[in-house]
Amino acid sequence: MRIEVDHDACVGAGQCALVAGEVFDQDDEGFVVVLDDTPPTGSHQAARRAASLCPARAIRVRE
Amino acid sequence: MENPTVDKVPTAGCPFHGLEALPADGTLLHPSPALAELRSSARATPLKYTGDHVGWFVTDYELAKRVLEDSRLGIHSERVPASSGESTNAELDDDVVASLLDADAIESLAVSNVLNLNSPQHEKMRRAMTGRFMVKAVRGREPAIREIVQRQLQRLQGHDRPVDITTEYALPISAHVHCLALGVPDGLIDSYVRIYNDEPEAADQTDFVRAVQEQFDLVRTVLEEKRRDLSGDALSDLLRAGLTDRETEGAAWILMSVGRDNVARMISTMTVALLENPEQLAILRDDPTLVPGAVEEIVRYGSPFVGLFVRTAIEDADIDDLHIDAGQSVTVSAVAANRDPKRFEHPDDFDVTRDAFGHLGFGFGAHSCVGQQLARVEIRLAIEALILGIPSLRLVSAAQLEPMPFAHPVGMHDTGSVVVEW
Repeated sequence: MRIEVDHDACVGAGQCALVAGEVFDQDDEGFVVVLDDTPPTGSHQAARRAASLCPARAIRVRE
Repeated sequence: MENPTVDKVPTAGCPFHGLEALPADGTLLHPSPALAELRSSARATPLKYTGDHVGWFVTDYELAKRVLEDSRLGIHSERVPASSGESTNAELDDDVVASLLDADAIESLAVSNVLNLNSPQHEKMRRAMTGRFMVKAVRGREPAIREIVQRQLQRLQGHDRPVDITTEYALPISAHVHCLALGVPDGLIDSYVRIYNDEPEAADQTDFVRAVQEQFDLVRTVLEEKRRDLSGDALSDLLRAGLTDRETEGAAWILMSVGRDNVARMISTMTVALLENPEQLAILRDDPTLVPGAVEEIVRYGSPFVGLFVRTAIEDADIDDLHIDAGQSVTVSAVAANRDPKRFEHPDDFDVTRDAFGHLGFGFGAHSCVGQQLARVEIRLAIEALILGIPSLRLVSAAQLEPMPFAHPVGMHDTGSVVVEW
């Protein structure tokens, strides 16, 4: 799995950091930071969930 | 504004086959049956707005998300759905505003009201606001929020009974947590609570605009104090963000104004939902680790937004099978989308164990709620303390169990009093 984020699209809602804190964090302004762009299998479901919940569709998960 | 669209809406004409007004016969926990009927017959229905405009009312979950994320639609807060009669659909009169609100405040509102801004100014202002509402920052606030909640719980326990949860628990908690997150100086918190918790109805324009002026006066006092002592809070961030004076003042006004009352509404509504569904309450008392999921569920199930803020097409837009003309408005129903059976199984069941994430209670797209992570923590801590701290809590009466006039003309349910006993 590979994670890509669109920093321009991000609106800082924080859904990703809430549901997949091992993969995503937020910078000082609240915008998305990818902690691990090739997360281990155990985090795949959380990463997919983060992508599906992002209100700006700023997260893309390539399987 | 001239209405370029009315004759292009297929079902418009004589007679008009759409909605004359938003259905107002529902409650927070039991929405109008009309919403489910509309959703099952079409993904969007023509809706009348003020000024004889005909736009759309979206009830389907997937279409709702597509509309909310579409950058061809901007926020248009001056146009609201036509009224069914008794609610407060008054548009603010420019002359009243100009005579009662100072010129700086008017300009500040124009450049900074994120609820009524579109790209790129919206993104600039939003960016200056988001930092202190992120997950990490909010987690760091938990001990202080817990303290506010405990203090208010003690006051509640010492209060004469029966007692109104909305005014004696939910509103004070949300006001104090709001001050904490924003960094309103301690000496001004009482002024904040007085000015904001007694906000008049928009129906009385003169009182409403006078209140906005009073809010701006407070914002200026607060910012003056903050400038001398910047710290780790949202208002300090605004002052550091390199905005113009008008942008800073307007952004501070909007941050001080929004969110607080909706958090209080959710705390009150969740109290009603749990006391009306004792088996769900028992589940949470047995296993409080389920409270975060229950908060998500109440924001889905008890969303007050029959209509979110009105969007208007900047250019012609085809979204799936929905055609929106340039200038035409769209109202997305969070209530209808949150209960779309294609997205949520048994949507009319209040089920604290379900995965309710994905609801539109905090909106979706570029305007989705900035303070949603703070709201989640606040509602969770307030509810946890209440249901664990008062085991024999019971509902005496709740105004919201019967339909009430909308609290906002976009179609937002009011919460009203929630009277409890123990």
